Amino acid sequence: MNSGSKATISGIVLSEQETVTLDELAGLCTVEQSWVVELVEQGALEPLGSAGREWSFSAGALGRVRTAARLRRDLELDAAGIALALELLDEIDLLRARLRSLD
Amino acid sequence: MEYKDYYKIMGVARDAKPDEIKRAYRKLARKYHPDVSKEADAEEKFKEVAEAYAVLGDEEKRKAYDELGSNWQQGQDFRPPPNWDTHGFEFHTGGPGGAAGFSDFFEELFRGIHGAGPRQTRNVRMRGQNEQARIFIDLEDAFHGATRTLNLRVSEPDAHGRMHQRNRTLNVRIPKGVRPGQHIRLSGQGGAGIGGGEAGDLLLEVQFNPHKLYSVEGMDLTLKLPVTPWEAALGAKVKVPTPEGPVELKVPAGAKGGQRLRLKGRGLPGRSPGDLYARLEIVTPPAHGEKERAFYEKMAETFDFNPRAGLGVE
Repeated sequence: MNSGSKATISGIVLSEQETVTLDELAGLCTVEQSWVVELVEQGALEPLGSAGREWSFSAGALGRVRTAARLRRDLELDAAGIALALELLDEIDLLRARLRSLD
Repeated sequence: MEYKDYYKIMGVARDAKPDEIKRAYRKLARKYHPDVSKEADAEEKFKEVAEAYAVLGDEEKRKAYDELGSNWQQGQDFRPPPNWDTHGFEFHTGGPGGAAGFSDFFEELFRGIHGAGPRQTRNVRMRGQNEQARIFIDLEDAFHGATRTLNLRVSEPDAHGRMHQRNRTLNVRIPKGVRPGQHIRLSGQGGAGIGGGEAGDLLLEVQFNPHKLYSVEGMDLTLKLPVTPWEAALGAKVKVPTPEGPVELKVPAGAKGGQRLRLKGRGLPGRSPGDLYARLEIVTPPAHGEKERAFYEKMAETFDFNPRAGLGVE
């Protein structure tokens, strides 16, 4: 690790068009693959197609898995509870956006 | 350093049973969790609660905390007693809120002991942990690209395998076209590897600071555009700011307040850039002077206009 170095670091933007494998998704979010599978089974997360042996996801799933991981860690929710919470949070976002476009 | 009254923060008595503390934590966590709560100070409040629970919810840490006695007040200047030691016990990270970002008070009490670090064992080679963080950038950074400084608090094992907290500063290039909620992957900038193993990656979630002119929704931007009643009624060409400089916008004759006019492609940049919406806000000039008042009175005479016609009142 280059600690304290003032060099500028460049990274790769994982935009929604990028795909990540199940392995990468779990690895980047530091969660277990089996738990990501559970989120998919609860409908909290949609893999892209089901071709091949390994699932792939839009990189947009990273934010969702990280939110799910925080809800699990901080609120001790199980996958079903997380799926419900994420759905309600999506709905609130939608309603807030609609409210913003009105005022 | 300020003393933290963890019992007060959690709203429980000093002799509260472990399950009471757990219940109090769950209630407060749901109330203030930054992913769920939209209260302005939710993040700050949640951190406090998570720190309090990290201590009171752990039998050993609670015991150590209780040994400080009950005469301390929240916020009082605190110096640890000279005979204070860390009892030699070890804690594991991964509690609510994560160990990073706790107060100086917490750090002083439980210094260097929140984490039984990976032991340095010969012949073990391990890749470092992937880490995650959030970076707040300005809207303009997404248009022009920028370099931003990120301050991280990281846990690192020392030579004895014990975990220590350390501040780390990174200069990160923000590429043009990045959007809120997207992630930037920085290879090899995560946790250090063990035994010569490679470092993990750092995953940076991008968020925008609130902007004084524009609100962001997906790829689109919205701007409140004040216009005069005559501009709205007669139509006009007005100058409108955009993140890439001012442009001229044609307000059509008969425009209404709240109407959205689209500036195609003036939203967030990308392969298919977003749009910028100007939401019209009709502003009436104040009737301060004699001349202005006379003009409004003339308007009242001239116009046969009842904006409340649809309300069913005369």
